[in-house]
Amino acid sequence: MINIDIAATVVAVLTLFGIYSLMAISLNLEYGVAGVPNFGQALFVSIGAYVAGITYTRLLPILAGYESIHPCGPTMGAALQLRSEIMATQPVAGFINLALTMMIAALVAGAVGFALSYVTLRLKEEWFLALVLLVAGETVRILVRGADDFICSNNGISGVAQPFYFLRDPGASSFLFMLLALALALIAYLYSERLVRSPFGRMLKGLRENEEVTRGLGKGISLARAQIMLIGSAIAACGGVLFALNTGFVNTNDFVVNLTLDVWVMVVLGGIGNNRGAVLGALLIAVMDRFAQVGAIILNMGGSDIEFNYVRFIGFGLILLWMLRYRPGGLLPESRLTTDAHDVVGRLLGK
Amino acid sequence: MPLLELENLQKDYGGLRAVDDVSLAVAEGAIIGLIGPNGSGKSTLINLIAGSAELSAGRVIFAGEDISALAPDAVFQKGIARGYQEPSLYFKMTALDNVLLPVKGQRGEHPWYAPWRRYWQRDEIKHAEAAAAVLDQVQLRQRFDTLASDLSGGQMKLLEIARCLMGKPRLLLLDEPTAGVAPKLAYDIFRQIARLRDDYGITFLIVEHRLEILFDFADYVYVMHLGNLLAEGGVDEIASDATVREVYFGD
Repeated sequence: MINIDIAATVVAVLTLFGIYSLMAISLNLEYGVAGVPNFGQALFVSIGAYVAGITYTRLLPILAGYESIHPCGPTMGAALQLRSEIMATQPVAGFINLALTMMIAALVAGAVGFALSYVTLRLKEEWFLALVLLVAGETVRILVRGADDFICSNNGISGVAQPFYFLRDPGASSFLFMLLALALALIAYLYSERLVRSPFGRMLKGLRENEEVTRGLGKGISLARAQIMLIGSAIAACGGVLFALNTGFVNTNDFVVNLTLDVWVMVVLGGIGNNRGAVLGALLIAVMDRFAQVGAIILNMGGSDIEFNYVRFIGFGLILLWMLRYRPGGLLPESRLTTDAHDVVGRLLGK
Repeated sequence: MPLLELENLQKDYGGLRAVDDVSLAVAEGAIIGLIGPNGSGKSTLINLIAGSAELSAGRVIFAGEDISALAPDAVFQKGIARGYQEPSLYFKMTALDNVLLPVKGQRGEHPWYAPWRRYWQRDEIKHAEAAAAVLDQVQLRQRFDTLASDLSGGQMKLLEIARCLMGKPRLLLLDEPTAGVAPKLAYDIFRQIARLRDDYGITFLIVEHRLEILFDFADYVYVMHLGNLLAEGGVDEIASDATVREVYFGD
């Protein structure tokens, strides 16, 4: 048998939970609340990761007072060493770099989300938007994989260390990174809860329920859709930055369509239109991910030739189908609570 | 000056001319009936006025302003609200949220302000009180917290009218407001319409198949047939018009 370090496992699962929560909250705002079927979730997450790949190799050395070394090709080793040294000795530069990375990632992804939703406006069916985003995700991934200038094409970028690396104590730095991920997830959760329980959230739900009628009731639906795509994409990109820091590595292979499907499973499982449900879905998938990994190791050690990754895909597919068939609202269906207006009218009626 | 004027409206779908050279005028404060057999172009005409279908030719003048080229949201902002023939409520939202959504110029609708409740809460309370009053007018105030899908058919139709009212329209376009409703309730719906006209001066253009009810309330009636305006006049005139009887009742 293998030894499992329970504390480390819990930290790893909770870190993943925080990162997945950001992605699930993002999709829940877009699809669950506003009804925009974003099948390009991997694209927006990957934008965050690619931005991290670029800032950690170009911006970080400058922030730390060095000249940046081209991270790919013959200088790859020297650049990696410089990165690791800065992350180990200059925490302030590391934190400033992280903050800037988050901001740039959110801005770039937000702009892309906003623009893509406008580009696809002329398409009749909203599901075309889903297809455009799906294709855009793969296209960008393949372009980045082929281009040497972003993240060293196929090789990817390693040494994208998390900001507490300078502590030189893996246990403590992982724990603090977990807290960071959970804190960002909490902020995203509180923010989206407020967003949903506002007149803006009400308009988004109207957009989801009946686009034509909402337009007929005087709402500029194209702008509203672009706005929620901007917000959702920015949140997903922040998740992407953390995703890259968590693995310490940016590689295009992590951002295939499977990632999008994982996020969809989280939202459909947890509850479409309910932020709490999205977070619950993220937790369940993070736990299942870990079990799947451990299960795969145990199976391999037992000499089985089952490729466990595929078992995981089949499992997720079955969950999706079962939920859609028997509990289309998810484990935590959408709440009917909205603004305080219901309390106001309730009081008027003396209820 | 009439509130709404249609000048030579035309709508072609491919080779089919759904609306052919229709001109009509709607006086402010009137209840105008629009009748005709299925496929005569009544709903298309409503869509043309509301901006949800594009005109092939002609002009729509509302309160002296040419609104022919406006999109549906802009038409609503000008003061024209519409009901739909098919169910169009937000069924997963409460009756109250249904009527609050169309309120114009809500500060909390801007994503930048939406998370900060204190920027829009005072407005929201004001809108909630107005919404309660509007729900009261259609006897739905007690059911403000009910999901629209849990209302009866007649209540759904009334909620749809209430939802339009929250936009403070001057003109309401209704496409078969009594479709699928029991006869007694259908009468109630029209009584509400007449009361809204009397109390608030709202003008109505109503597509309706139940002529016996419409004729009790309408001030003036237009008859469409095969995309053309076949006849127009007061209720008595239309009810006794031979050509109308022929296309409508086949006798």
